[in-house]
Amino acid sequence: MADKVLALEGVTLEAPDGRTVFEGLDWSLERGARVHAAGGLGNGATALLRLCAGLAEPSAGRVLLDGTPLDPEAPGHPFVRNGNLGWVPTDGGLAVNLSLLDNIALPLRFTRNMSREDAAGLATLWLERAGLAQAAQAKPRVPADRTSWLASLARAGAKGSLLWLVDRPPGGLDSASRRAARAILDLAAGDPAVSLVLVGGDWMAGLGDELTIEDGRVSSGGIA
Amino acid sequence: MKSHGTVERLLTLPGEAARGLGENVRSVFAQVGSIAWLLVSCVRGLLGLRGEQFRVVLEVTRAQIRFTALDAIPLCTLAALLIGGITLLQVFGQLSGFGMENYICQILAQLVIRELGPLLVGIVVISRSGTAIATEMASRQLSGEIDALYLNGVDPVRYLLVPRLLGGVISLFTLIIYFDTVALMGGFLVAWLRLPLSFSAFMDALVRAVGPRELMTTFFKALVFGAVIPLLCSSFGLRVRKSTTEIPQAVTKAAVGSLAILLLAGAFLSVMIYG
Repeated sequence: MADKVLALEGVTLEAPDGRTVFEGLDWSLERGARVHAAGGLGNGATALLRLCAGLAEPSAGRVLLDGTPLDPEAPGHPFVRNGNLGWVPTDGGLAVNLSLLDNIALPLRFTRNMSREDAAGLATLWLERAGLAQAAQAKPRVPADRTSWLASLARAGAKGSLLWLVDRPPGGLDSASRRAARAILDLAAGDPAVSLVLVGGDWMAGLGDELTIEDGRVSSGGIA
Repeated sequence: MKSHGTVERLLTLPGEAARGLGENVRSVFAQVGSIAWLLVSCVRGLLGLRGEQFRVVLEVTRAQIRFTALDAIPLCTLAALLIGGITLLQVFGQLSGFGMENYICQILAQLVIRELGPLLVGIVVISRSGTAIATEMASRQLSGEIDALYLNGVDPVRYLLVPRLLGGVISLFTLIIYFDTVALMGGFLVAWLRLPLSFSAFMDALVRAVGPRELMTTFFKALVFGAVIPLLCSSFGLRVRKSTTEIPQAVTKAAVGSLAILLLAGAFLSVMIYG
């Protein structure tokens, strides 16, 4: 098992409009480290998350997840396939034809080989933690709202993800949602095997070292 | 200048046409390659299913069969009854002129089972399920759902494509058999109204007309159409990348491409089996 859960080696990323977002970026995250990038939209934090998840393809360099390079030509990275990645995009990334409960239960059945009943039970527990017990059978709204983002956070927790890539929630969170989200993230941060990369939301500050993204450069201390 | 331009246009036209033809041929090969790649991925995905994944895939396959086969029964029933009855009327009109009414059941059975049944069921499935699959895949692709599925450890090939492939083959097979049966019954009803024909005589003629080759036709056409329609439609849907305006274009291409392959593959299989 690699000491670094994430490593970016000489990564250059260009935006679709041709603008260079990162150039020759070297950055890594130790296993169990937690970082938080504050700041508004457009600072490159979401692009960094997408790079780490393999959704943005660098024009140069490589991204290593748990010591294995992400290869866009060969999907099926073992770390991802085994359900160790907690991907929480702003829109939640939920399937709109499934209920919130089924959205959380599906990866549990696929990656943890849990029965339908067991997966539903665990999904219910995490929906309660997210303050969404009443909405368990509801389907995600389009466009996505805070409910989808919270359910996505609950999904990352239910899977027992080892690396959480959490983007900012859509719009603002009310105080109850913020408390629920913070409680879930505190639970994750309490596990020394879990690494977190959090973006946005001042209320997330304190969960990890400050991650500074400036002029295409990324710097962090990383709490191990 | 204008005439020079016209001459130049005339001179370059064959080249452009050849280039256009080349692009079309390349596009067809790319399409065939895309389906083959998806098919191989699906077979690998199917063989790699384990434990609960298998049950998830079964649940999605059941939902796909319900939509593709069960929900299509009213339309298939109407089409089959009308096609069976009208075909018999047309054939009867031609054969009675030669005093060959005795062959009517045999010709009806062969026409329906060999060609009309698989073709019309294929068209029904393309228009209902193929377009729905292309739209669904395109929407999921655009909204980032497919990326999210993959990043949460749910293999999109296993979860989305394998059930559509299995559901397509099973649905086509059952719908073709259902369509053939109803069309032959429709034909019998019309024949019974116009000819002194008993049901047992009709069944005798049917048994004589249907042999192993007819069963083979049904099996192979169901297999090919059932695999090609969902995979091709998924392939067009998954290519949508930028905006929602691409979705109707993808759906149109999926329907037209599926129809073209349906006609070509149907003709090829008929020639291979009966030619």
